[in-house]
Amino acid sequence: MGFILPIIPVITVLLLFLTRKSFLQHIINLLASGLLVIGALLLTYKVVNEGSIRYGFLGGIFYVDALSVIVLDIVIIIGLVTSIYSVGYLQEEIRQEKIRPGQIKRYYLLMYSFIFTMVMALTVNNLGLMWIAIEATTLASAFLVGFDNNKYALEAAWKYVIICSVGIAIAFLGIILFYLSARGVLSESAALDWVALYENAKSLQSPVLRLAFIFILVGFGTKAGLAPMHTWLPDAHSQAPSPISALLSGVLLNSAMYGIIRALTIVNCNLENNIFTGRLLLAIGILSILTAAIFIMTQRDYKRLLAYSSIEHMGIIAVAMGVFTPLAVFGGLLHMINHSLTKSMLFLSAGNILQKFNTMQISKIKGVLKILPFSGTAFLLGLFAIAGTPPFSIFSSEINIIVALFSGGSIWIGVVLVLLLAVVFAGIVASLFRMFYGEREQETLQPGEINKVGTGAIVVLLIAITLGGLFMPSYVIELIYQAQGLILGI
Amino acid sequence: MLEFVKILSILILLSAFVLMGNKRINSYIETFRAQSLLIALMAGINGIIMLKTEGRFDLLAVCVLILVLKVIYIPGLLHRTYAHVKYEVEKDFILNIPILISVCSALVVFTYFCLRTLSSIIPNSIILQLVNSVSVIWIGLFFMISRKKAIGQIIGFLVIENGLFVTTMLGTEGMPFIVDLGLFIDLITAILIMGILVFRINDQFDSIDTDQLNKLKG
Repeated sequence: MGFILPIIPVITVLLLFLTRKSFLQHIINLLASGLLVIGALLLTYKVVNEGSIRYGFLGGIFYVDALSVIVLDIVIIIGLVTSIYSVGYLQEEIRQEKIRPGQIKRYYLLMYSFIFTMVMALTVNNLGLMWIAIEATTLASAFLVGFDNNKYALEAAWKYVIICSVGIAIAFLGIILFYLSARGVLSESAALDWVALYENAKSLQSPVLRLAFIFILVGFGTKAGLAPMHTWLPDAHSQAPSPISALLSGVLLNSAMYGIIRALTIVNCNLENNIFTGRLLLAIGILSILTAAIFIMTQRDYKRLLAYSSIEHMGIIAVAMGVFTPLAVFGGLLHMINHSLTKSMLFLSAGNILQKFNTMQISKIKGVLKILPFSGTAFLLGLFAIAGTPPFSIFSSEINIIVALFSGGSIWIGVVLVLLLAVVFAGIVASLFRMFYGEREQETLQPGEINKVGTGAIVVLLIAITLGGLFMPSYVIELIYQAQGLILGI
Repeated sequence: MLEFVKILSILILLSAFVLMGNKRINSYIETFRAQSLLIALMAGINGIIMLKTEGRFDLLAVCVLILVLKVIYIPGLLHRTYAHVKYEVEKDFILNIPILISVCSALVVFTYFCLRTLSSIIPNSIILQLVNSVSVIWIGLFFMISRKKAIGQIIGFLVIENGLFVTTMLGTEGMPFIVDLGLFIDLITAILIMGILVFRINDQFDSIDTDQLNKLKG
């Protein structure tokens, strides 16, 4: 089987250009995301059995290994769920006359360009090309963020484009420095190839590499939503259409984090310890969790609250990568998967709530459980899951990371992390739980789900995150072990 | 030939200072055009050297791309965008122009001290040129935060991109061609998207003052 994953979204975009009927566009959307999942599963199977794969054509720029496959699978699985959800979501938006039927085409075109850029970012072996693909993710999703075309959405889109483009420009400076550090060690064509960089990591110039890592951390960290570069994230996540918020939060942040992990691997191998990168990542990670905790405590808008929770979880992953022991890296990778599934489920059920109640203000919503029995329950359980309550999967990865912190000697950081997680839990309970009970004063809303198929997808995700907390399929563990080996260099 | 490159790198830095002192949006765009022309010249000279020594056309192709995109197309696009929105002299700076220029000078000095650590791997003469180009990046960033109009921010982004490009050219003797090409495709899409957003912001807010984008907080 050749390398078909980046080709499917391209063909989808071309087909979408040719179709006029919205019915056909929905069908193409579902088929494409289904095909992507099949392709990704075949590829995962191959990687689990054979290790990394390099494809010969186009100068050998396509390369996948266990680490990229983990993030790629997240992209494609969340892509499938959102594409199923989007069908009902868009139909409801048309029914409520928020969008015109002609806008469906634009939505899907942008969504598949967005997926294409992310698949590209995860399947190339060249830092420069990965940078281009990650910059392209911003561009492809800018109009998705501003899709509603009102004052709020435009403000969010403008901030998103400007802050992320500048951030990513700074990452490019880091990549130039990476290239400089390989001067005289690698040939010109191989100097941005991270397989080659990793193999020759010990002979790269350490001072330049340190400088490069700082720039890359700031640059890709902007895209990953790490504080203090996170300011675009709550705006973009709250103003984008809900399925797009699910994609942004569950998928885009991970792709950027993947860029940081790639650079981290090379730098740690070169310096032969993780003191330098560990300090930076721990500081930036704890700062992100702290920022998120403060804003979650005082939040009045439930989609923004979920966005801040994404910042918190990216911070947790950064802390895990900063600790850099086998247990922490394992926990970090697992956390990536768990956070994506849980957070996209939450954004999708928040989408149902938003379409039913037509407000993002927490104080104006009461009695969700009565009016939306399924997505309301999923939202409630999802909130417990995202706050780290057992038996959900986020608990298992968080406990891994916390144990790694305590056993790795960073006891105080562990204490701070646990305290902050408690604050976040309290914040979520205090701000959001009043949505679920109580009677609305004016009984205008009829109980009942609006997006039935989409709600089905939400329930499937809920089952996945519940089972994921209780047991892990052996091939997922095998995949994470392989990726852990790649990151730690063992 | 190398003397020309040195002079050009200083001129590019100077053009960034000139940009900082500009008040009218139309003059920003023209200064940006001039800066891009200087960069195209630099790419051309380096390209000829590369063609002579290694027989590669990469940089010459990049030079043509810069001429078409950054000297002709993007400034034209920005002028057209600006013609549709209200014409006004930018007067509400956060700081006044002399202070802005002093801060820019401080940025150059700061860059010089940062880049001295590179002296183990790069010859000193190139480091001085790198100081010029990296300073352009910081000045671009500073320009973005010192201007309040949306077009000013686009120009700042373009100047950052220019600085990055010169840094790449001087520091690495050109990235692999595919990277350069991708960079340009990204750049042109970014500018198109920002341009469209400026139109829409102008429609919705009746102004392109980014101070009005303050609805989303907390």
